[in-house]
Amino acid sequence: MTMSSTLNIQNLTVSLRSGLPLLGQVNLTLEPGEVRALVGESGAGKSMIGKAVLGTLPPAARVSGGQIFLRGQALDRLNAAQRRHCVAQSAALIPQDPLTALNPVRRIAPQITDPLTRIHGWSTERAQARALDLLERVEIRDPARVMRSYPHELSGGMRQRILIAAAFAPSPPLIVADEPTTALDVTVQKQILKLIRELQKEVGTAVLFVTHDMGVVAKISQKVSVLFQGRVMEDATTEAIFTNPTHPYTRALIAATPSYADPSRSFSPVPAELIAQMKSEIAKEEVW
Amino acid sequence: MFLRTVLSRLLTTLVTLFGVAVVVFVLVRVAPGNPIAMMLPPGASEDDIAQLTALYGFDKSLVEQFFIWIGGVVQGDFGTSITLRQPVSDLVLARLPATLELSFFALLIAVAIGGVAAVIGARRRGSPTEAAVDLTSGAVLSIPDFLWGLLFVLLFGVLWPVLSISGRLDPRLEFDFLTNFVALEGLLRGRFDVAGSAFSHMLMPALSLALPLAALIAQLLKQNLKEVLIQDYTTLSRVRGFSETQVILRDAMRNAALPTLTLVGVQFTFLIGGTVIVERLFAYGGLGNMAIDAVINRDLPLIQGIVLLFAALFVAINMLVDLSYTLLNPRLRHG
Ligand SMILES: Nc1ncnc2c1ncn2[C@@H]1O[C@H](COP(=O)(O)OP(=O)(O)OP(=O)(O)O)[C@@H](O)[C@H]1O
Ligand SMILES: [Mg+2]
Repeated sequence: MTMSSTLNIQNLTVSLRSGLPLLGQVNLTLEPGEVRALVGESGAGKSMIGKAVLGTLPPAARVSGGQIFLRGQALDRLNAAQRRHCVAQSAALIPQDPLTALNPVRRIAPQITDPLTRIHGWSTERAQARALDLLERVEIRDPARVMRSYPHELSGGMRQRILIAAAFAPSPPLIVADEPTTALDVTVQKQILKLIRELQKEVGTAVLFVTHDMGVVAKISQKVSVLFQGRVMEDATTEAIFTNPTHPYTRALIAATPSYADPSRSFSPVPAELIAQMKSEIAKEEVW
Repeated sequence: MFLRTVLSRLLTTLVTLFGVAVVVFVLVRVAPGNPIAMMLPPGASEDDIAQLTALYGFDKSLVEQFFIWIGGVVQGDFGTSITLRQPVSDLVLARLPATLELSFFALLIAVAIGGVAAVIGARRRGSPTEAAVDLTSGAVLSIPDFLWGLLFVLLFGVLWPVLSISGRLDPRLEFDFLTNFVALEGLLRGRFDVAGSAFSHMLMPALSLALPLAALIAQLLKQNLKEVLIQDYTTLSRVRGFSETQVILRDAMRNAALPTLTLVGVQFTFLIGGTVIVERLFAYGGLGNMAIDAVINRDLPLIQGIVLLFAALFVAINMLVDLSYTLLNPRLRHG
């Protein structure tokens, strides 16, 4: 809640133009260099939080209440151009699907260096050197050749590594990673997670890490926000979430996750009665 | 691989052109009207008619005539115009530059107007501005090129005569042309008075031809841009700090231009077809205008020559479109 927070979201409400709420009274903070996982079932509103921060909400949705502070700057006080500038200077996105996140008709090099030269005002040489450096860092062999390639010449795992390199290139204080590994196969997933964690420590970036995989949560984050139907059910440290979950939904989510350590352990789906009960509680509150 | 593509392409082209040659040759001969009768004064003797018929080879069988003609064509001899008494190839090639200049000027106008409208519409998608682009392009598209021509003749030729509505050039201009590309040559040789006169003569016919295509480009390119603008890579560009206009021009345009290009290529051949009537309307000395004279006078060799040239032009344009599609699409470039 201090002004030094990288990200501070207060009572954020996002609704559809029809009035239907997608996020209700969301609060969360992210301190510099911290990783916070956003977990919850599909449709809980995890991606919506990231989009509200980055200003990429779909046309049908809008922020209808609350505030977002990015490095102390209230985003709702800025006009569109200022906001775009503020977000570009402070945040970057690692998208979910590496296959659609690179422009198919442009080579890799400008897709990494253009933001650096045109938005961050770097020299071409500096941007080029930084891109090569980061590509090496994400374990891409022959980065000079990859820079000259088109996206269709590269594998999905390589493209996601390139997108990670591009996100970290300007050393942003905040990165939103929206399920960055779900589109990749399991062996690649682990490498990608490792890279994100290493780079995050190196650059000192705070990460808002969207996932529905509690196994990933345990590996990467220090804090966790558990979402259900656009609301934060529980906000705690990762350790507390796993050792002492207070909300029954959190317990059910953990129980529903197959364990990395012990894949043979049986897991149970979130009980339907619990979901029904939470839904009726949310409906009763009516404080959207 | 590449060589095989080129060869098969060349073969299809030849087959296409041969087909066109057969069809046009037969059509002009089964159409009513006797070219010989039209050349001679009324009351000419049977002898005169027979002599002239033999001179132009019309006494031979259709098949014989065709092979004599096509035999000449492969050697670059397209026969002699009946009315103008000059080699068809000379006549047609002298007129081709006029039609090419007009068509490409019209294409340029169409791409410029349509492109700007599409970008504005896509930039303001979902707003009244986009609705205005849709409405205007729909209205413009519903009026064909020759009606635009008539409208312009009335507006800027008769009611408010500010632009020349006939010919290619101000006849008072003195200039030794090396080619028949008057606008291009004027530009390249720094005679901007000549180029200016050529462009002002072309403006209205070109605009008539361009408007329907511009409207089509506006609609199609806007739709394609909107489809690209929801792709993840454009979202990523916005997050990185690029403005919507930058996203459209830098990220979306080339992706949206690809599917637009194919259709514009086809429509451009229709535009060239439109020159026939529009050139007539503005007394513009191009191929189309000549084609109408040739049809009126039943000048069979000339009609055949013009149609073949148009067909060759269409084939060439299709090839250019395919080529630029390949150049613009990296996935096809190293295939
Ligand atoms: N473009 C849109 N228009 C209308 N509603 C939308 C749109 N995008 C998402 N929603 C709704 O917003 C809610 C939250 O969506 P969101 O994408 O944040 O879910 P999520 O938690 O990221 O789920 P997932 O794990 O499937 O990605 C969902 O109920 C979804 O139906
Ligand atoms: Mg999501």
